Amino acid sequence: MTEVPPKEKELTEQLKSLDKENRKLKKTLARQERNLERLHQSRQMSESLLSRAVQEAQQSEQALQLRSQELEKALNDVRAIQSRLLTADKMSALGVLVAGVAHEINNPVSFIYGNLEYAQQYMEDLLTLVSVYQTCYPKPNPEVKDCMDGIELEFLKDDLPKVMSSMRMGAKRIKEIVLSLRTFSRTDEAEYKQIDLHTGLESTLVILGHRLKASADNAEIQVTKSYGELPQVACYAGQINQVFMNILSNAIDALKEAKIEEPKIDIATHCDNHRATITIADNGPGIPANIQEKIFDPFFSTKPVGKGTGLGMALSYQIIVEKHHGQLLYDAAGPGATFIIHLPLK
Amino acid sequence: MFKAIVGHSTDVDSEDAIAEILDHCQSQLGNQLPQAGLLFAAMNFDYPLIVKRIQTTFPDIQLIGCTTDGEMSSVQGFQEDSIHLTLFCSDTVTIHAGLGQTLSDDAQAAANQAIDSLKLNNLQAIKLCLVLPDGLADGTEVALRQLQSKLPPNTPIIGGLAGDQYQFQKTLQFYQGEVVHNGLPILVFCGDSLKLSHGVASGWHPLSRTAIVTKANREIVHEIDHQPAVQFFQEYTGQQPIYGEYPLAVFEKDSDQFYLRASNQWDLDTNSIHFMGEVPEQAKVQITYATHDQIITAAKSSIQQAVDNYPGQQPAVAFLISCAARRWILGVRAQEEYALGKQFLDPALPIMGFYAYGEIAPLKMQGQSFYHQETLVTLLLGVD
Ligand SMILES: Nc1ncnc2c1ncn2[C@@H]1O[C@H](COP(=O)(O)OP(=O)(O)OP(=O)(O)O)[C@@H](O)[C@H]1O
Ligand SMILES: [Mg+2]
Repeated sequence: MTEVPPKEKELTEQLKSLDKENRKLKKTLARQERNLERLHQSRQMSESLLSRAVQEAQQSEQALQLRSQELEKALNDVRAIQSRLLTADKMSALGVLVAGVAHEINNPVSFIYGNLEYAQQYMEDLLTLVSVYQTCYPKPNPEVKDCMDGIELEFLKDDLPKVMSSMRMGAKRIKEIVLSLRTFSRTDEAEYKQIDLHTGLESTLVILGHRLKASADNAEIQVTKSYGELPQVACYAGQINQVFMNILSNAIDALKEAKIEEPKIDIATHCDNHRATITIADNGPGIPANIQEKIFDPFFSTKPVGKGTGLGMALSYQIIVEKHHGQLLYDAAGPGATFIIHLPLK
Repeated sequence: MFKAIVGHSTDVDSEDAIAEILDHCQSQLGNQLPQAGLLFAAMNFDYPLIVKRIQTTFPDIQLIGCTTDGEMSSVQGFQEDSIHLTLFCSDTVTIHAGLGQTLSDDAQAAANQAIDSLKLNNLQAIKLCLVLPDGLADGTEVALRQLQSKLPPNTPIIGGLAGDQYQFQKTLQFYQGEVVHNGLPILVFCGDSLKLSHGVASGWHPLSRTAIVTKANREIVHEIDHQPAVQFFQEYTGQQPIYGEYPLAVFEKDSDQFYLRASNQWDLDTNSIHFMGEVPEQAKVQITYATHDQIITAAKSSIQQAVDNYPGQQPAVAFLISCAARRWILGVRAQEEYALGKQFLDPALPIMGFYAYGEIAPLKMQGQSFYHQETLVTLLLGVD
């Protein structure tokens, strides 16, 4: 073995440590390179993750806003229902009152109407008696003559029957109105029973009579009826009348709003073996296709705020479909609006 | 008496590095003989040579160890291309090493094999079990459950999964003179005098929307919210491959407590994700995110928990097991974890530690051990 000279040994040592240093640096460099690349990717991921999270936060904020808007709308709806219910409450109280008043008036009017027959008879008898007297005593004494002139007997003889007949007509009209009021505001509405649908339609028309008449802006609305044979139908009379009322008032509203020159409402009824059908058509502007499916939604209304609550058709739908298992349809075929009600007979 | 001696070298040459470590240790040991050792090594060293040198120096030593994703010790601080060895001496505590093999084939059998290889008549004396499973083999959780059932009730099982410097190709484990992979080395400590405490914390916070795992099989998640799992991640992370730093928070049933599951593998053919731990079907999950400050704050809390819970006066050694993803995200701030350890612990206390591919510890003292990800586990050991 030869001794390695000290100088050479030192050099080898130095070389070795340089080599180590080199290896170490290479390792570090390789790792740093890997790290750098990964860091870059990780940063991209971070950015993507965070931006997505921010987006989600924004979305959930929007969703919350939307939700609170919905809640606000729901609150408004509830308020509207509340006021509607309050009105309904008042209406039903009014209904009871009207029914009571109608009942009270009905009796005296019946006396008047009933006694008018007798009054007519008595009057005719008296007039006959006067004629007989005049024939038997063509020359009355001056006292009688004065009285005849004073009371204008000839005019009286002519006018009295007319007065009587107009009184009878008036009393008859009072009787009709009273009867309609009673029919319409039936206090027995909770009761399910056999009714004549035509009677319901008629009484609704009587009540709406003043709205059908001509006004400064509108011509009188002509109502034509083609009633078929209808058996009695079991239902809640008060509610069904409410439906007629809602559909007819909408038709009147539409005709007046559009200022139709010859406004008309046609009411037709017929019956097949298992259901009764009532069709109410107007010659107004009709309902645009895009809102036809909305008219039965609660609170859907095209009328100005304060005028329509948008509950009329919704309630009608509920009454016909849910309470009576019938159908309430809008028929888009006609030029105006046509509503069809089907009610099952059993 | 219970003493830990740490040697740590940054020499790139295997021969020189282990020589430096053994010299250093021997000068500290005096005439004491170490019972056991824990070896942690970075990649690209000559491991058979290193374990052989240790064996020839201390023929009776009980040695386990593994490759790592970074090393730290009170000798050299935080390092990334180094080797360190901790030796344990005690006259009251006895220490035994064991090894289970082919972990991913049959984790239960591997756990049984590890226990059997301890050659202990009385398992009841075991007070602590350290484990260093392969970091890329499935089965750690099954093995943990099996170990827990074999050990005395409530024995803490603490450790970390071997790493390979964030390359996810192959990790190695050491047992006596052997270098293996797919292994489950364990080191058990027996003796009533042993005192210990631990802490666990992560710092990751849920960030994405909450989703439900709708199809999963153990470690593989196929569908989240009835979508392919990969799609759920990509919705957030873009087209990038999934990295360990965005783990899933998996929520315990109806609670806001969660554990983390990271992944480095996704299968673009089946659009499923292979996690480094089980993810149960029907679990509520969220993608998580952590900032540097959150990670550092959590490190403090882990160390503080261990300090507060230590049942004695003076621990003899601190063992820090941190997650590779923490090191990776912290970058240059990674050394702060170790610095915090120094700050909160007695300056004279020996510290050893490594960056792992998953951490193992009970959530609370006396509790069952869990497999964690993205956490820092702190273990304090001693007899005083
Ligand atoms: N005959 C009709 N012709 C034209 N539009 C109609 C007719 N009937 C209903 N509509 C439309 O349907 C909408 C809903 O009717 P609905 O009766 O439910 O509410 P409304 O009449 O607006 O309010 P209200 O609650 O006072 O009845 C009306 O606003 C109107 O736009
Ligand atoms: Mg209306």
